[in-house]
Amino acid sequence: MIRFVHILITIVVLLIFSSLVFGLERFPPPDFEETDYKIPDTNHITDVVPQQNIFEYIDVAVLAAGLLLSSYLVIKKRSRRLVFMLMIFSLLYFGFWRKGCICPIGAIQNVVLSFFDNSYAVPVTVVLFFILPLVSTLFFGRIFCAAVCPLGGIQDLVLLHPVSVPQWLESALRLLAYIYLAAAVLFAATGSAFIICRYDPFVSLFRLSGHFSILILGACFLLTGMFIGRPYCRFICPYGVILRQFSRLSKWKVTITPDDCIKCRLCEDACPFGAITIPTVDWPQDSYSKSKKLLGLLILLLPILVLLGGWAGSALGPSWARMHANVRLAERIYLENQGKVEGTTDASSAFRATGKPTEELYDEASAIRKNFYFGGWLFGGFIGLVAGLKLIMPSIRKRRTDFQADRAGCLACGRCFQFCPREHVRLKNL
Amino acid sequence: MTTQVENKDAENRIKTPLYEAASGAAIVGGIFSVIVLGLLIVNYLQIKLLDPLRTERLENWKIKLLEQPNNEQLLSQIRELDLQIRKDRIHRLDFSKKGAFLLLGAVAVFLIGVKSAKVLKKRLPHPAAPTDIQMRQIRQAVRARWVMTTTLALLAAAALFLAVKGRLDFTETGPSYATDEEIAKNWPSFRGPQGSGISSYANIPVKWDGNSGEAIVWKTNIPLPGHNSPVVWNDRVFISGANKGKCQVYCYDAVSGKLLWQADVVNQSSSGREIDMEDDTGYAAPTVATDGKRVFAIFPTGDVGCFDFEGKKLWSRDLGVPESMYGYASSLAVYQNLLFIQYDQAAAEDNKSRMIALDTFSGTTVWETKRPVPNSWTSPIVAKIEDRSQLITCGDPWVIAYDPLNGAELWRADCLGTDVAPSPIYAGGFVFGIHPYTKLVAIKPIGRGDVTETHIAWKAEDNIPDICSPVSDGEFVFILETTGYLTCYKVDDGTKLWEKDLKTNFTSSPSLVGDSLYLLSEKGVMFIIKIGAEALEPAQCALGENCYASPAFAGGRIYIRTDKNLYCIGNKD
Amino acid sequence: MQTETINRRKFLKKGLWGTCLAGLAATAALFTKKKHKTNTVWQLDPYKCVACGNCATYCVLEESAVKCVHAHAICGYCDLCTGFFEPQPRELDTGAENQLCPTGAIKRSFIEDPYYEYTIDESLCNGCGKCVKGCSAFGNGSLFLQVRHDRCLNCNECSIAAACPSQAYKRVPVDKPYLLKKMEHA
Repeated sequence: MIRFVHILITIVVLLIFSSLVFGLERFPPPDFEETDYKIPDTNHITDVVPQQNIFEYIDVAVLAAGLLLSSYLVIKKRSRRLVFMLMIFSLLYFGFWRKGCICPIGAIQNVVLSFFDNSYAVPVTVVLFFILPLVSTLFFGRIFCAAVCPLGGIQDLVLLHPVSVPQWLESALRLLAYIYLAAAVLFAATGSAFIICRYDPFVSLFRLSGHFSILILGACFLLTGMFIGRPYCRFICPYGVILRQFSRLSKWKVTITPDDCIKCRLCEDACPFGAITIPTVDWPQDSYSKSKKLLGLLILLLPILVLLGGWAGSALGPSWARMHANVRLAERIYLENQGKVEGTTDASSAFRATGKPTEELYDEASAIRKNFYFGGWLFGGFIGLVAGLKLIMPSIRKRRTDFQADRAGCLACGRCFQFCPREHVRLKNL
Repeated sequence: MTTQVENKDAENRIKTPLYEAASGAAIVGGIFSVIVLGLLIVNYLQIKLLDPLRTERLENWKIKLLEQPNNEQLLSQIRELDLQIRKDRIHRLDFSKKGAFLLLGAVAVFLIGVKSAKVLKKRLPHPAAPTDIQMRQIRQAVRARWVMTTTLALLAAAALFLAVKGRLDFTETGPSYATDEEIAKNWPSFRGPQGSGISSYANIPVKWDGNSGEAIVWKTNIPLPGHNSPVVWNDRVFISGANKGKCQVYCYDAVSGKLLWQADVVNQSSSGREIDMEDDTGYAAPTVATDGKRVFAIFPTGDVGCFDFEGKKLWSRDLGVPESMYGYASSLAVYQNLLFIQYDQAAAEDNKSRMIALDTFSGTTVWETKRPVPNSWTSPIVAKIEDRSQLITCGDPWVIAYDPLNGAELWRADCLGTDVAPSPIYAGGFVFGIHPYTKLVAIKPIGRGDVTETHIAWKAEDNIPDICSPVSDGEFVFILETTGYLTCYKVDDGTKLWEKDLKTNFTSSPSLVGDSLYLLSEKGVMFIIKIGAEALEPAQCALGENCYASPAFAGGRIYIRTDKNLYCIGNKD
Repeated sequence: MQTETINRRKFLKKGLWGTCLAGLAATAALFTKKKHKTNTVWQLDPYKCVACGNCATYCVLEESAVKCVHAHAICGYCDLCTGFFEPQPRELDTGAENQLCPTGAIKRSFIEDPYYEYTIDESLCNGCGKCVKGCSAFGNGSLFLQVRHDRCLNCNECSIAAACPSQAYKRVPVDKPYLLKKMEHA
């Protein structure tokens, strides 16, 4: 009854099972007897080393030098041409040569992540990239934006025919930048994603490669930038949000006139970015009392907006938590286990192959969702606060007698200098 | 409202030759950029659209070549297309890189041209006529507030939409696998729940006749032969069959016997792989298994297939042909989301035997543990012992229990030998293993590590079978020799209580229903014996065909596989 | 009154300015003291990799920075290499119909009977992982994917890392930039 069975297979050697997880050696190491062949070592792999650390430090040095030079050119020398040349240099160095990474805008995320995640240690150079432009802004205004930031540089370069954005629209559009900053901080803090990097429209142009969609986005921004000056800087840049507030406090200001304003109005339409504020006049008496009442109402509305915003942000929590890979995975595994969805994905079958219990995954996902819940409160509250303040600001009358560069919005490009007669007097005297 | 040259200042424009050069450069640069951009887009489309089509064609041709390996023309076509694809890929990548630089250069020229032209076009600042600044400021304020409010409303709407869209709570979960109660109600794998051979139903038929049709609910033909047992879940009966070139899974309706679907188990890497098998074992010896949502099958070619209850293929794997002397026969076992395959092969020192656990959803390997045994023909069982499930296996010489979730060995006992075919069972607090022709062993499964010296409760040596697995109700344990000798031992201490010669051959394993043993002989006669401390006379029900596979039991029904047919036996009320 | 308001405002502004500056200094100090590590680069753990093919398509570079590498010490030097050949090769030669690699990046050369050496031409490899899948399924697993640092731009957020289904990517210190497979003694 018991007989010997022949198995006629050519592939007798393949008697094995798939195990991508285990590095089981199925075939023993060969003995090379006839030739004196030596098995190569892994040096050919490990000899290909990444760029040395030193280049990162050189970048920081160039950044610092650029900031100092830019502040000199804007505040002291007041030369648009030299600022333009420095801007071109920065665009070429930080943009096309260093491929736009790492940049101070993205560094926000690294610093935030390092704050919330103990296992992530942010390198010194990144911290410096984050800090140095902020410090320079505290002293000199937004000279970083003028001549050092490559993203600003490329937008400034393509500005051909500036069309001005109506002032009442600007404030609302800028809310986008606050939302972007808050969202970037939220996603970085929860370890979900670096959205500033992911959706950066210009870095793909600096690399001269990227996915089709991001290249199109970059091209759209450039096309828009031909007519609307520096759209990313004014309405989207999250770093710009911080720079705006710091620039309001700066020690030295960027001024249109080198000494006194003679209110000649020649600079009124000089700024392609709408950052020149004109002198104010007194309002009619009746509108004062009306607007005072409105102001009172809006101030009362502010905390309500903050709370409503916070509540809305927290409600977004579970939805936004999907930015985190573990939450997406947990939801997919859940749907598969409940039979609500067919088949498996690469991610879900890779997870199942690890043998990790699903309860653990669900717990992780719930913890992340909780983070998003709290983060959502902060996010929404922040946006509510900003929106509330933006509603209040138009009612606050500032008394201005001169033509000035808006402290927060001036990008220190220096275009307005040559419109001022006092500047021409200064140049003649030099 | 920017400082633009008014029409009347147009004459003041200084048309220097430099200006002409600048604007010329701008135009040239602009046009060149557009052309390069167009070419780059075309290049991109070629990469994204054309190349995948060609690669698909190449793959199809390669598959065709498998069927016609000597088609020289096809061969050269494949080689040419392959070369073409590879050349074009390099070319396109190269063009992308160069094109990007060209575009950069062209755009730079364009920008330089335009900027220079602007600079050269000296203009005077021309502020707009002074408007009513008061009204302007009030208007600005009002509009700003309105726009802000509208924006907030839009954001709120967006937030609401996102918040409501697809809320997913992890809390509303039931287990994603069948519960113990559901498993107990069905016959989901070889020898039923926990591989015990025991059916918990009280209404199983006790009398039928294959020739007269008494108590035969339906009988249907199985297209391909095999020695595997039927498997039942609710209203479906699953079984597999195979011959040298084909491996198939069949699904029958449990009530009517209609063939609902049949599916082939094939893998690209193993297609056309043909092996020779003995008639005794056949091409479909391992029994299929189900977890209530999917059915799994394995064949001696090394192909594993998984289908849902509608017959749709979910996944399949090729594990490579197992080296098994008499042909691979181990049946499948399922626990939660894991499918267990006992892949014992060759000799113990060849180190090829493994226990493999696949994920039931995707078929990926979750864990794999080496086994220190040669080829065997037993099937693994999953039994719940003291609140914890164990995956128990029999091999030569070890009985090994694993943690089903991670493949870690819990305990092992050195007590078996030779070619092991009877599968283990767990009953009465013991795990029973059979060393063919030599001994029946009772092991206490609560130890850890090597428990050979400490946890073997007793051994018995009379009338030990070589194929049939044992069955026990916890008080008595029954073993059945191939020649028909039925022996009853006491579970507590291994005392032989009685033995009876049934005088016919048995290949299928015994089953226990209520207080009766159901033993299916090779001639198709079911011996039904009431169990007790003494041997009693069996009732006999003949089917009229040869039977080698163990029967399956479900509510009021028995499912028996014969040489060619599948029978459903039940009382027609 | 006016000057008082202005002075108060100036004082507030100065205070705020000082706070911001101090805050920045604190941030700098805090994060530079915290676990002073070297810069990091991206690398993938070959033991987690499932050879899904995303490495070839998600890199921001047109030609992915991820390539297949070969750890010869683990290799079995088999005549029928399952990382080199299709599942059922017509013949064991370098014909295009027999090769798994879509770009022909693996070179096969005879050493002595029955051993063959397999090397990867990185200029041709596109990081698709087909050879990795074949090698780990039926071979020793000596072929695996790694990020090559002469090509990788070291993006702040690696697009492949975000798309990896088994989350095999992590940051490694720049002085130990590779996670190679080790020889396991069976």
